[in-house]
Amino acid sequence: MKAETSTMNAEFPDILREIPLLEGSVTSGSLDDQVLGVTDRKPPRRWFVAMAFTSTLMLLGFGFIGYTIYTGIGVWGNNSPVFWAFDIINFVFWVGIGHAGTLISAILFIFRMRWRNAIARFAEAMTIFAVMCAGIFPLIHVGRPWLAFWLFPYPNQRAVWPNFRSPLLWDVFAVSTYFAVSAMFWYLGLLPDIASMRDRTANKWRKLIYTVISLGWHGSARHWQHFEKAYLLLAGLATGLVLSVHSVVSFDFATSVVPGWHMTIFPPYFVAGAIFAGFAMVVLVLVVVRESMQLKNLITLRHLEVMNKVILGMSCLMGYSYAMEGFTAWYSQNVYLHHTFLNIIGGHYGWAGWLTISCNIFIPQLLWFKKCRTSYFWMILVAVAVTVGMWFERFVIIVISLHQDYLPSAWRLYHPTLVDFGILLGSFGLFFTLVLLFARVLPVIATSEVKGSLPGSQPRPGGEHA
Amino acid sequence: MREEQPHYWRSLEERGASPEALQAAHDELKPGTLAPADSPVTGISRRNFLGLVGATAAVAATAACDKSGKAFVVPYTKRPKEVVPGVANFYASTFPEGTRSYSVLVKTREGRPIHITGNDEHPGLKGKTSPRALADILRLYDPERLRGPKLQGHSATWADAEKVLNTAIANAKQAGKAILLLTGASTSPTRKALLAELKAALPTLEHLAWEPALGEGAQEAATAVFGTSLQLKPRLENAKVILSLGADFLNGEDPEAIAAFTSQRRPAEPVKTMNRLWVFEGPLSLTGSNADQRFPVPPSRLAALGFALAKDLGLPLPAGAQLASLPAPADIPAEAWRKLLEDLRSAGSGAVVLCGAAMPAEAHVAAHLLNTMLESKCLEVRPAEPLAGLRDLEAARKDMASGKYAAAIFWGVNPVHAFPDAEAWNAALAKVTTRVWVGLLEDESAAGCALVLPEHHWLEAWGDHEDGALLTLQQPTVGALYDTRQGEEVVLAILRGLGAAAAEDYRAYLHDRWAKDVHRGPVPFERFWQAALHDGFVKTDAKTLALPAFRGDAVKAMAEQARKTSGAFELMLRPGTQVFDGRYGNNGWLQELPDPITKATWGNPLAISVADAKFLGLQDGDRVELAVAGRQLSLPVLLQPGQAKGVLALALGYGRTVGGVAKGIGVNAFPLIDMQSPCPNLIHDVKLTKGKGRTQIPFTQNHHRMDGRDLVHSSSLVEFAKVKKKPAADLATLYPDLQFPEHKWGMVIDLSACIGCSTCVLACQSENNVTTVGPEQVAKGREMHWIRIDRYYEGSEENPRVVHQPMLCQQCDHAPCENVCPVNATNHSPDGLNQMAYNRCVGTRYCANNCPYKVRRFNFLEFTAYKTEPESLVYNPEVTVRPRGVMEKCTFCVQRIQDARIRAKAENRPVLDGDIVPACAAACPSQAIVFGDLKDPKSLVTQLSRTRRGYKVLEEVGARPAITYLADLKNPALEVGE
Repeated sequence: MKAETSTMNAEFPDILREIPLLEGSVTSGSLDDQVLGVTDRKPPRRWFVAMAFTSTLMLLGFGFIGYTIYTGIGVWGNNSPVFWAFDIINFVFWVGIGHAGTLISAILFIFRMRWRNAIARFAEAMTIFAVMCAGIFPLIHVGRPWLAFWLFPYPNQRAVWPNFRSPLLWDVFAVSTYFAVSAMFWYLGLLPDIASMRDRTANKWRKLIYTVISLGWHGSARHWQHFEKAYLLLAGLATGLVLSVHSVVSFDFATSVVPGWHMTIFPPYFVAGAIFAGFAMVVLVLVVVRESMQLKNLITLRHLEVMNKVILGMSCLMGYSYAMEGFTAWYSQNVYLHHTFLNIIGGHYGWAGWLTISCNIFIPQLLWFKKCRTSYFWMILVAVAVTVGMWFERFVIIVISLHQDYLPSAWRLYHPTLVDFGILLGSFGLFFTLVLLFARVLPVIATSEVKGSLPGSQPRPGGEHA
Repeated sequence: MREEQPHYWRSLEERGASPEALQAAHDELKPGTLAPADSPVTGISRRNFLGLVGATAAVAATAACDKSGKAFVVPYTKRPKEVVPGVANFYASTFPEGTRSYSVLVKTREGRPIHITGNDEHPGLKGKTSPRALADILRLYDPERLRGPKLQGHSATWADAEKVLNTAIANAKQAGKAILLLTGASTSPTRKALLAELKAALPTLEHLAWEPALGEGAQEAATAVFGTSLQLKPRLENAKVILSLGADFLNGEDPEAIAAFTSQRRPAEPVKTMNRLWVFEGPLSLTGSNADQRFPVPPSRLAALGFALAKDLGLPLPAGAQLASLPAPADIPAEAWRKLLEDLRSAGSGAVVLCGAAMPAEAHVAAHLLNTMLESKCLEVRPAEPLAGLRDLEAARKDMASGKYAAAIFWGVNPVHAFPDAEAWNAALAKVTTRVWVGLLEDESAAGCALVLPEHHWLEAWGDHEDGALLTLQQPTVGALYDTRQGEEVVLAILRGLGAAAAEDYRAYLHDRWAKDVHRGPVPFERFWQAALHDGFVKTDAKTLALPAFRGDAVKAMAEQARKTSGAFELMLRPGTQVFDGRYGNNGWLQELPDPITKATWGNPLAISVADAKFLGLQDGDRVELAVAGRQLSLPVLLQPGQAKGVLALALGYGRTVGGVAKGIGVNAFPLIDMQSPCPNLIHDVKLTKGKGRTQIPFTQNHHRMDGRDLVHSSSLVEFAKVKKKPAADLATLYPDLQFPEHKWGMVIDLSACIGCSTCVLACQSENNVTTVGPEQVAKGREMHWIRIDRYYEGSEENPRVVHQPMLCQQCDHAPCENVCPVNATNHSPDGLNQMAYNRCVGTRYCANNCPYKVRRFNFLEFTAYKTEPESLVYNPEVTVRPRGVMEKCTFCVQRIQDARIRAKAENRPVLDGDIVPACAAACPSQAIVFGDLKDPKSLVTQLSRTRRGYKVLEEVGARPAITYLADLKNPALEVGE
């Protein structure tokens, strides 16, 4: 038995071997000190600087949102025919960013990819924050936000229901379900760690808070048994949602009659794009986190490299989708679709089309090289490019398709305003403010799960403890 | 007594209860006896609690009442019999506009006018009117209207104003000094009679009637060849060939001409004949855009072209006329020239040559010559009031400066805006002792006048107007909103001041004059008068005038004149399509109405040909410097396909400096005019240089080609005769077909008849409370018109083919907008309407994204809520005013549909074809829009939609629109491409 394993190991090429989860010697105690101890220490100066910056952006964004709600969305650049612009671009962008978290924590969990353990918590948190950012936009983009609750099917004396045929309504369900399940999943996973923090801290107030939110977790076998079951179930539920939420978001476009929106490829294409953008954002944030919070031994370069491989894979899928869009435009012999595609690569907004293609297809090809996958410079370059590229992809889909659709008489260019940019920046401010807060008050790494993969924690084949 | 009453028990419990219990039950109903039951918690009894709650609510309610708006509300004790709340009344009246007048019907609701249409009894207009007549209702409610007379800038009473005016005039009369009366043109015989009386009582009065934007060539030419000032009205019902020398007779001002012209352009099956329109013109006009053959020619060359035609026509010249040898114009293809001559000859008296008002006199003479040679029967001769020209104005200015006038009265004119040298005018005006201004809205000229007398709006005033063989009556449709009087009453006051016997008011004057001069026949006058008020007009015994003898000797000099052309740019000034000579500058509806050709709103960019613009490196909105003989103007340019090379065109009436809406919109082109020029509206030797910077032009359409899309079906008469109707079949769909139990409303729009005049746009705006948004918002693409006219160019930039396509909600059966609305705010009615519930709309704008026709309009900002009286009085009470954040669109005038259905139901009959006419269809002068029930196989709309020309726009999207367009047919003389 033992001999067989070793021969197998010898036969496996390096690339197929399981990723070492940790570097150096990590024990339960050192892990707790490293991860959970953060909350007991005073935040460093640079944290405050970063916080000041992001919260300023956030407040600026809220100011612009207030101005919009007070005055009307005429303060944006939206016009006829570009009735949707930054509002929905930002919405789709942030929902997309939110995809990586659930993918990492749920799908990789189900596939027992244990390397996910070190990064799952952070990715999940980012999901929640990104969906929060996304959720703002459908609310503020409507003409009368104070009536937006009419989108919910609640019983009312007028006996009016929302229109269940409208993809926007599906959005409401898809995104709210996604947010609820992701939040639950995240919170459930946090329970054992919060309990650890409760046990560690000496501060009275912190102890009280952690006591309340750890929901009486004692780490008994019974707790663990229930926990594992619930976690698996939620992972199963979330898996479906990863695929559904962005498919539903894509229905906003795919079910319409607008040339450039009305495409059957949209659901998988949107999901791939979302994972793509989400992973890029996770890489971006993890690089900062592992450096600034001294977590290099837990979030290793191998983690980043694997993530980069996913990004590369998704980039190729995106390339396929873009090519398919072009093929469909040509093959359909549809003059309108044809025109829209030509607009992407050569119209007034052709620069946005090429920016999208360059950032999402060409630049990520760097990741074929191991050097690029493991070098901060290159991976940050790619991650930033993908983030920019995916924002512009939504710009391409929404603005380019809308600005010239069927009747040339109605065509018009779109010019964003200061308020549009302000709210976009504000959403980034909100996102990073939440990320920064999270990094200080909750464990950024799922210690309970990492502990499960520490040497000696798991029984190994052959009855030995490795 | 009490004990003796029988005791009835209410329940068995009560009967068997103890006396204490009975007492308690009794006491429960007694007031104030529940002290023991006070709540142990609050110490307040239930009754007291309810009392307190009631009192609090009452106090809160009283406190919430706003005492500031307190006013007496008095209900009718006796309702005026003509006012039924919720029921519209229609009154016939007349809209005067200088040399024209339009008999109209005014729709009033609860005593206020809300909508204007043409008078449907009028034999020529048949319910149609000019777009400006429709829109002028807005001026009635203009918040900037003067509320009362002003003396030296301070409010005054009419009595004081009259005293000042009459003293001044009496003094002038005594001193034997002249008095200047400057007015606009008028078609009113009673006003003329009144002014004649004034002249008789005040012999030193000098009256000038002046229309600054109309040009002087027509009058000069008529005087030269006919010896009198007259107006030639085109009568195109039987015209087979129409040649326009820069005449824009289809620009909407003359609905009769449009109706007559288009009546020959909607070929019935089998398709055989149509009239043919040839146009030679400099700028691309609406008429040119509807031409069968159009050639861009600089206006200065039109006269020579006309004389060359006369020479080549091969018909005898009128006696005394001589034409030197003139070559056929080099830039007109010989084949076209030959065909044109052939057309004119073969049509004979069925041919007519029309010449544009802004054209020089020699071009008009050429047209008169051609018409005389052809013996054209397509012109009606009407007498015309001789108008003052700029040279007369300049003379008056000099007289003012020399102190000749003791008083000057400006009535309905704005010389400070329209006189080319405003500074000199003002300087001269300062020398006049008494300066009086009479008008509706304070303008540039009011500022220099000590006495400012506010006039009634025409909807508040009396009047009568000559309209060919008809005399139309103008009656007030609303009481004066402010302390104003109609201008004629100022004249009456002057007459009284001079001691002449004058009527008490103008109504009495008009009434008396009609009794004396107009009344004919056996009908007693009061009945005659009532009938005239009802109909809006009476027939007079004025006979059709014959054209005076043609004075051939005038031709030679004019033909000599015609040969002079200039090398540099020539600039054509024309009255603004919307603001005319500037008098409508404060009208937001008109300012925001896109120019039918350029689709520009809010301003007057300089139209330049594409070739010239390319040569100078100019693009839309680039600023240029115009220089004419030392006069300068800086303004943005607009590249106009189809405009002749070397020609510039600019609209008059913009660049006002007074008026909340008008101020600062466009540039004033009047100062460019050379007062000594025989043809002031055509300026030669204009220098154009590229200036600095750009000005965004608020276009409503930015893309002008169809890009090969099959949106407007068009064909030539010859080609179309060969076309077979393709079998109509709807595209396959997964949706179930909609069922329409009773009606299915639909529309047909005949593109052959539609000339693009945009009257429908204004009619819709007025009917449906469509708001204006201003130039910045139009530039951002947020205009709100429910119906727009898409205008496409096809072919070369030098001389494109133009098509107009009205675009409004297509009321699709499978409406893409409906299924995407998350809150069900837009859905389908059982009679086939795609309806909009504004109250339910939250404003996701998804519907607008998904509308292939882009006819949905969104309230991006609050455009309506701040509007208060008097602005809000113009609203149609039957249509919701939409707030910000709400989507809106054409409803097929659902309020009119419901009105007709209710009427039909009340009369216990089905809705008949033609009962329902949406505002756009009602206003369309060419009757291109037909509305009706598609379920009724006999209805006109059903029959038209099944003709060979019928097609649906964007049928391939599968939305199943309810509007059928009929293909545009042209009747070109040359094969396409020739």
